[in-house]
Amino acid sequence: MSAKPAAAIDPITLEILFNGLRSITDETYIAITKAAYSTNIKERRDHSTCLMDPQGRLIVQAENSLPVHLASMLGLMHKLLEKFPADEIHEGDIFVANDPYAGGGTHLPDVNLAMPVFVDGRLLGFMCNLAHHADIGGMSPGSMAGGMTEIYQEGLRIPVVKLFSRGELVRDVFDLLLLNVRVPEERRGDYYAQVAACKLGVRRLLELAERYDAGTLAAGFAAIMDRTEARIRAAIGGIPDGSYSFRDVLDNDGMGAEDIAIAVRVDVAGDRISFDFDGSGAQVRGNVNVTLNATQSAVYYVLKGMLDPEIPNNDGLIRAVDITAPPDSIVNAGFPAAVAGRANTAQRIIDVLIGALAQALPEQAVGAANGANVTAVFFGADPRTGRDYVYLETLGGGFGGRAHKDGKDGVQVHITNTSNLPVEAIEMEYPLLVESYGLIEDSGGPGRHRGGMGLRRVVRPVGHETVFNGMGERFRHRPWGIFGGGDGATGRFLLRGPAGDEALADKPAGIVIGPDTAVVVETPGAGGYGPPADRDSAALAEDRASGKFSDAYLRRHYGDAADD
Amino acid sequence: MGWTIGVDVGGTFTDFYAFEADSGAVRVHKTPSTPDNPARAVIDGVNAMAARHGIDLGQVARLSHGTTVATNALIQGKGGRLALVTTAGFRDLLEIGRQIRPHMFDLQKDHPPPLVPRQRRLEAAERVTADGAVRTALGQDEIDRLVAAVRASGAEGCAICFLFSFLNPAHERLLRDALTAALPDLHVTISSDVQPEFREYERLSTTVLNAYLQPVMATYLHDFESALGAAAPRAALGINQSAGGLMSPERARELPVRTALSGPAAGAVGAIHIAGRAGARDVITLDMGGTSADVCLIRDGAADMTYERWIEGYPTRLASIDINAVGAGGGSIAWFDRDGLLKVGPVSAGAAPGPACYGAGGGEPTVTDANLVLGRLSPKGLLGGGMPMDLAAARRAFEPLAERLAMPVERTAHGVIGIVVANMVRALRAISVERGHDPRDFALLAFGGAGPLHAADVARALGIARFIVPPAPGILCAQGLVVSDLRESFVLSRLTRVGAAGIDAIRGMLTELGDRAETWFAGQAAAEDARERQVRLDMRYVGQNYELAVEMDAAAALAADADDLRRRFFAVHDRSYGFHNPDDPVEIVNVRLTAVVRLRHADPPVTAGEPGASPAPFERRDVRFAADTATATPVFDRAVLTPGHRVDGPAIVDQLDTTTLLFPGDRLAVDAAGNLIVEIGE
Repeated sequence: MSAKPAAAIDPITLEILFNGLRSITDETYIAITKAAYSTNIKERRDHSTCLMDPQGRLIVQAENSLPVHLASMLGLMHKLLEKFPADEIHEGDIFVANDPYAGGGTHLPDVNLAMPVFVDGRLLGFMCNLAHHADIGGMSPGSMAGGMTEIYQEGLRIPVVKLFSRGELVRDVFDLLLLNVRVPEERRGDYYAQVAACKLGVRRLLELAERYDAGTLAAGFAAIMDRTEARIRAAIGGIPDGSYSFRDVLDNDGMGAEDIAIAVRVDVAGDRISFDFDGSGAQVRGNVNVTLNATQSAVYYVLKGMLDPEIPNNDGLIRAVDITAPPDSIVNAGFPAAVAGRANTAQRIIDVLIGALAQALPEQAVGAANGANVTAVFFGADPRTGRDYVYLETLGGGFGGRAHKDGKDGVQVHITNTSNLPVEAIEMEYPLLVESYGLIEDSGGPGRHRGGMGLRRVVRPVGHETVFNGMGERFRHRPWGIFGGGDGATGRFLLRGPAGDEALADKPAGIVIGPDTAVVVETPGAGGYGPPADRDSAALAEDRASGKFSDAYLRRHYGDAADD
Repeated sequence: MGWTIGVDVGGTFTDFYAFEADSGAVRVHKTPSTPDNPARAVIDGVNAMAARHGIDLGQVARLSHGTTVATNALIQGKGGRLALVTTAGFRDLLEIGRQIRPHMFDLQKDHPPPLVPRQRRLEAAERVTADGAVRTALGQDEIDRLVAAVRASGAEGCAICFLFSFLNPAHERLLRDALTAALPDLHVTISSDVQPEFREYERLSTTVLNAYLQPVMATYLHDFESALGAAAPRAALGINQSAGGLMSPERARELPVRTALSGPAAGAVGAIHIAGRAGARDVITLDMGGTSADVCLIRDGAADMTYERWIEGYPTRLASIDINAVGAGGGSIAWFDRDGLLKVGPVSAGAAPGPACYGAGGGEPTVTDANLVLGRLSPKGLLGGGMPMDLAAARRAFEPLAERLAMPVERTAHGVIGIVVANMVRALRAISVERGHDPRDFALLAFGGAGPLHAADVARALGIARFIVPPAPGILCAQGLVVSDLRESFVLSRLTRVGAAGIDAIRGMLTELGDRAETWFAGQAAAEDARERQVRLDMRYVGQNYELAVEMDAAAALAADADDLRRRFFAVHDRSYGFHNPDDPVEIVNVRLTAVVRLRHADPPVTAGEPGASPAPFERRDVRFAADTATATPVFDRAVLTPGHRVDGPAIVDQLDTTTLLFPGDRLAVDAAGNLIVEIGE
């Protein structure tokens, strides 16, 4: 059967085929959630799955996939096809990679797998998945802390290699992977879950190929991408033509670089849109650099969020957009820049993109959200068992005020949407006590629609000493309001000891504390939307009655209107 | 033994199914629902049915009731004014939840607001740790302060949820007792009663939902019981639960959240009953109505259960029959998405204005219109329904679609059926394939107004060999209520390693739960041979955070040693994920025991009938099975189909409440219980 032109597939057949493909990626996503060992994947859902075509173009992504993961899976395919000629890709192979420079990744803890699917000897595509492993080795437990200056320190670098060859596990490779990570038995379970998801996806795709011949499938893949491209181009056509610029700065890299610029100019002409990050700062020693594919993820996220949240994620979206960024810059890092904390930077890139497009799309814009991916990692030996543990968590904060409603309080924003860990799960699994978890008073920026509030979590080691590593952003530069809305509060890390509170660095590493001391994590709030003077009196009354805002704060920002 | 009546309150109709065990008599009745006061339709309907069929209401022994009061209160925001007390430092948890957004890319969508505003969320200075030990005791001064604060809040209900209360409920109970002593009219819900399980946010959310629904349910049941007491004084009232099975009105007042998903559950219980009578142990149900289709997997005569459900945007952890709903019904509207792909649903034309062919003002092309265009539905409407359908209006509704696709109207309509079937197939795959079950090992049981019409298409798409249509497919939920048993569940949440050391602890928990079940059985005055005990262990590998359900009979669980339990877990792990690691340690998170009192359900008699006979069709009409060719197809009246009859496809069976479609090659036989059994042709 030869491939028919895409146009030969009618919208009905295509919808039914597309439905079947979405079933497959969603099923593999669920399979990883269930079969993985680590809390980070099972509870926080820090993983994604997708189907790529033989050219490495994205066809379908699982509904709950994370935007930043898209970049890694695309990057892996790019490097895989670069390194392995067609005659070295076989049925039953499974490729693994994580390196941002040699493996197309965005940071080392995100481990990517890809498995080719053959129908009658012909390559139909690749089932891919990615999971964020709670540790990938390197100098710091959790592989996410500040203080690292080159990729070698951040963990084990995996170029694209075969983990399975023609259906057989390459034990030498697997042994090497596991030897270089902390808590290897847990990592092993996570790898198994990812492998099982690859195999499941391949099996399902083969079942689909029994109903549709390979030619129809290939034509269907092309048609899906073409239609998405047409759909996003139509939406881009609705943006007023013009050039829109915005600039913001990242707090620091934890290694001496301060106020790192991120700038973008967006040019819209008809159904074409381009993003130029010229003016962004050079890459830095600290690990907040972002590879270009992660910057691309941020752009796709903003386009979807502001234009068409329901548009499918596939190559049609990707090819409709032009992105350029200066080489070896904070948004287009080159080897050997350290990148573990790239999510914080990606959040700031999104703020900047929204700031630029707000001028053209005011209704869809939002105030700056918490602009961070505040990370807290605790590492130690459990005194109850003597076994090592790594507890990693990223915390949400405020979401920006919106045209028609307040920003949500205490929530993951933009590039990430990972769940928190239940306090009861933390305390059963780790020798830690969570003393409180709540919203921070006065942290949401004022406005017609106020910004959301940041989160505070207080964690104390029980019966042992623990090592704390953290990664904070918007700890210095407040999340800005928009169209007259006020700024939200910054975040911070504190130690709460017998002698009182002591401020920590924004990106602290290797902080050893005992049971008399607690770590206080405070995440940023978010900026408001529209002038505070326009805030509805009922909303103001609720701000006061709920205790979310103090009388002093309300008077300061809303004046007499705040006095009932 | 008198009459048993099942009453299912739906959005549009309230259905009644009455059964008299000694004579085997069955009576059915339907009356429009009265959403402002659902009890009115129930009581009026019971009286009307009694008058029409000569039922002596004094002889009604049991009335089993499926109610939507809880669900409606949630949708309309009419629950109670609540206070909440949490462990100090955690009052915002209700609002933070899992700190996630409901939609990855939508900047405007949030989870619904918390059911208790922050000003009425109080914190108690108390703390229990992960081993159940008290770190900070709940003192009398603190209790007094909290009682005063709850009193001052003006709340009519109070939810209490403390950390690790599933291990040590003492603090929750202390505060509850103090509150009820000081404020006797206050409804109090504590999390260790509602669902004493690990994971505080889901437990908290479930507890708050329950407290929110208590005042509404109490009012409803009070009115209902007094009206029923006057009409049918000897009738024992049973309230249906989301897990299937009945509870007493007293229990429903304590745990109204258990009714929130009870509507579809009754359908699943009815389906199990029907499948049993048809000799099928493994079936997948397809209950397709006007706006949605509910699907459920039944294995070895029991429905799959789930313990995680979202109710109107709020998470709960309570047993419910694992029913997957998809926006695919007769009223589902076909439309073009922005990428030009044709979609069907989830928006529905509903009952009003309804599909274009109803001629009631609807102009959008719907699934029902497509079936009419294809001749699968009769322009004369349902048999005896007296409501003709407007074929010209249906075609008109499809013309704009057909034009855009550059296809004939018939091919367009055929495509719409293909898409709605694909949507249902995806929902079915989610409960079968994604749970490790092969749908080809199951029969499809089709009911609801539109289920039997699409069953042949759905079965083909999944490789299912056989589908079953019950005698009264439109009233299966009410029938399910009549055959429901009494049910109660008990749980202990204790992380326990499965090994030589842990086995005694596991047996201890099983014994404790067994004792609680015996107390409950005694309270129900249940005969020994009517008692059933099922154990479900939530197990996982040590370090995992997601459990698998391992089910067994209570006696088998008590007799099992650690190796038995591990083996059973491995088998479930294999089925779910295709692998297991025999060397890794395994632990139990929850031990659950479900106690059931089997009520006596005599069945309507079955008749052998005359094997192999074929009745005569009452008409022929042109039906499009493929898009481009019409086939003259015989149409049979279900009323003349009796046990033993056979019909070969292509054929259509029309009846009062549904239409069954047989493709060419499909073969129908009527079984002794009056079910249509259709074998899918090659």
